[in-house]
Amino acid sequence: MKKLCAALLTMALILSLVPAVFAEGTPEPITLTVFRGDPGDQPTEDNKIYKLIEEKFGVKFNFSFLTGDLDETLGIKIVGKDYPDLFDGGNSADLIINGGALINLLDYVSPEKTPRLWAHIEPQKARLIEKDANGNDVLYIIPNYGLADGDQIANSVGGPAFFIQKQVLEWDNYPQIKTADEYFDLLERFLDANPTDENGTPYTGFAILCEDWRHFCLINPVQHLMGRPNDGEVLIDVNDPDFHTETFIDKPYAKAYYKKLNDAYHAGLIDRNTFTMTFDQYIAALSNGTVLGMFDQAWDFGTATSALLDAQKYDRTYAALGLVYDEEDIEGVEMPSADWKIEEHYLNGSLPNVRRGFGISTTCPCPERIVAMWEEMMSDEWQLIFNWGIEGEDYYIDDEGRLQMTREQYNQTQDAAWKLANKAEAFTQSSPKKQGYILNDIQVGDKVVKAGNCWEVANQPEIVFGLMNDYDKEFLAGYGYQKFADFVNPPIELAPYGEAWQIDYTPVNTAHDNFLKVQDIRLPELIMCDESEFDAKWDAFVSEIKPYADEFGAYMQEAVVKEAHKVLDNQ
Amino acid sequence: MTSVPKDFGGKAAAKKNKTGFFRQLGKQWQLALMSVPMLLYVFLFNYFPLWGWRNAFLDIANERGTLIPFLSGQTPAWYGFKNFTNLFSANAITFQETLRNTIAMSLINLVLGTVSAIILAVLLNEVRNRKFKRTVQTVTYLPHFLSMIIVVGMAKIIFDSSDITPGPINELLLTSGLVKKGPNWLGEEKYFWWLVGVINVWKEVGWGTIIYISAMTGIDPCLYEAASIDGAGRFQRILHVTLPGIRSTFMILLIMNIGHLLDTGFEIQYLLKSSGTMHVAYTVDLYVMEYGTQTLDIGLGTAAGIFKSLVAIILLTGANFIAKRLGEDSLL
Repeated sequence: MKKLCAALLTMALILSLVPAVFAEGTPEPITLTVFRGDPGDQPTEDNKIYKLIEEKFGVKFNFSFLTGDLDETLGIKIVGKDYPDLFDGGNSADLIINGGALINLLDYVSPEKTPRLWAHIEPQKARLIEKDANGNDVLYIIPNYGLADGDQIANSVGGPAFFIQKQVLEWDNYPQIKTADEYFDLLERFLDANPTDENGTPYTGFAILCEDWRHFCLINPVQHLMGRPNDGEVLIDVNDPDFHTETFIDKPYAKAYYKKLNDAYHAGLIDRNTFTMTFDQYIAALSNGTVLGMFDQAWDFGTATSALLDAQKYDRTYAALGLVYDEEDIEGVEMPSADWKIEEHYLNGSLPNVRRGFGISTTCPCPERIVAMWEEMMSDEWQLIFNWGIEGEDYYIDDEGRLQMTREQYNQTQDAAWKLANKAEAFTQSSPKKQGYILNDIQVGDKVVKAGNCWEVANQPEIVFGLMNDYDKEFLAGYGYQKFADFVNPPIELAPYGEAWQIDYTPVNTAHDNFLKVQDIRLPELIMCDESEFDAKWDAFVSEIKPYADEFGAYMQEAVVKEAHKVLDNQ
Repeated sequence: MTSVPKDFGGKAAAKKNKTGFFRQLGKQWQLALMSVPMLLYVFLFNYFPLWGWRNAFLDIANERGTLIPFLSGQTPAWYGFKNFTNLFSANAITFQETLRNTIAMSLINLVLGTVSAIILAVLLNEVRNRKFKRTVQTVTYLPHFLSMIIVVGMAKIIFDSSDITPGPINELLLTSGLVKKGPNWLGEEKYFWWLVGVINVWKEVGWGTIIYISAMTGIDPCLYEAASIDGAGRFQRILHVTLPGIRSTFMILLIMNIGHLLDTGFEIQYLLKSSGTMHVAYTVDLYVMEYGTQTLDIGLGTAAGIFKSLVAIILLTGANFIAKRLGEDSLL
């Protein structure tokens, strides 16, 4: 009996060792906790991409998504040291970095250990690698977006612009709208001629969303009218060797825009409930197709665009216009510099999405394994799977080696429920990824994907133009344009400091908060006030905001120079 | 009501003999044991968090860059009462404003809420048809269980002040010709407090009546009979029997509510505020969230919290003192 027991025990021991010996191909299974700093949906249990990941890497994910206020959620996690393994701080990653929640990836990422990841970040390493308090090189987050291969692709305007319903432009026989005056004038003329849509619902001329952080629709336009791409709340002179930086909202040149909005309000273009509207109400109004124009960023109202397309209201979707001040607006007004020239630039050079994406938390038990997995995932084969899916199922390769989708295949990529079962977006959106053009041929089964295709489905020319609806094709033909990005100038070279909205302003949090709050309160007042009161109210606004603007502006000036020199000195 | 059974330890018993307390405790050890979980609960959730009050006296975020040491566990520097003085220094929304808003909205809620609850309770008390009474009661207290975000969402639709597509209220006002231009309910400061009051009444009125109705059922029916024999009509019976009958309940609720005067809440204001109404919408709680939590100036947030507690204690003892003077049962 004893012997039998011993024999059994030995057997059991040996058997338990066997998997360890043969298991090199399939590593020990592990479940990683993942936090996403934005709202999202759980992927389905049998999601095919996560299944592939599990088979190859033995890694499962346990996702949690943002449900409440981001800063509060992160604050609670930091104070409680309750970190997920993969930690995406969303727009407030500065909090978790400053709170010491993330490890330095440079301990694991190097040209020798992870050649692919290194090649990915190398061209922009001057922007990505920071110095910590002790002067050591640190990299907490490999950007989720903005490290693209090849020339920059710009098919459409994905960011800020003045948007206008295509039917308005069509109605006026495809005019060239280049200034704010022309824009509001066109809206007014259209509204006079067409007060309601075909169902008798009245049109709203111009909507201004200002709920919570989306108040950029109210406070950001001036910098663009002055000819700069998005730098957040400051205007920067890139031709100045010292990068003169100032808050623009309190400057004389900002007054012209809000005066125009005041005029537009009294002309009936702006509905007063625009200032009490929630984001949901705003999207609902846009989706109805009764809002003629607004300043926004294209990604912000994407759901409305989809709804309009679903309803086949093609002429109610929006075209992006790059508006600037005309001479008259700024005549005799003090400019940021003596030789300031206004030239339209809404599209900026591509830049890495610094400090956005997954970091690995200090409590993660296996950082090395995650980095190794990312390294493997940066291979062309995995990137093709993440972006395009499974060959034959989700896309096909034509005889010329181009990536193609049938209409059906494309449609399902637009279906949220399908995506939860067939795409790994909850993971890939915040992971390092390849963007831009595919640089090398990729062997997929017995076919070859030729270099020159686009990594992202949305950028692939065949997809963009093949799927454009007939209305859009006709509309572009009316202008003689090839693509919607032709409405604005091509991207300019990225300034050395990047884009100033990315700069961390934690040290002047309180001043910045007050700076925004005064704008939130006073700008709607300015827009709705009686014309005779406007000047006095403007002066009152400027003097109220001045202390906060000065503190925030001074901090940003310093930070912009510092940021610019990181790159200039590294070159 | 006022007589306490001897064994349960009235004040007099404890005063008489100092060793009596422990003897009594020994006698009632089962009762004492039963109260331990509650004592633990109170200690853990009400007293233990007071340790966090020290944050109000530390320099956590006001000096540039000192945020990091706090989060990494280093002790920030002693800051004295500076957080309290900072509290009253200028921000875009001042703390004084939030105090004013909190008290104003609380008072409006208190008055509107109490008056409407008493009126509804009295009316229900007079209804003889039990089915009708039950239905009304149920219908009026159901909104209590709705979450605030739904209630405010509904209010925003009902009070939508758009010029182009007005909500039901403005539509009614406009079509009836009462006004030429609908009031900007959601966007103007002067309506905000009242809107909050109205929404609160709608949501809580049924719930508020429950306690008054139960107090009314406790009134001796003989009093009503006697009153009607003396020739009192229905209104006189309400005035001279029902209302005096619920007076002590009313006073106790009033004292308790005054203690919560600065707790006017957060949800409704947070959801209903917009750019035009921020100066009247911010309550102390919103202020603590904005300048304490979101900008991570935890010291300032704690200072505001302490200030709020102190004011609440003063209000509560004050109300209790006045109630005592008026010859009512006091709560403390």
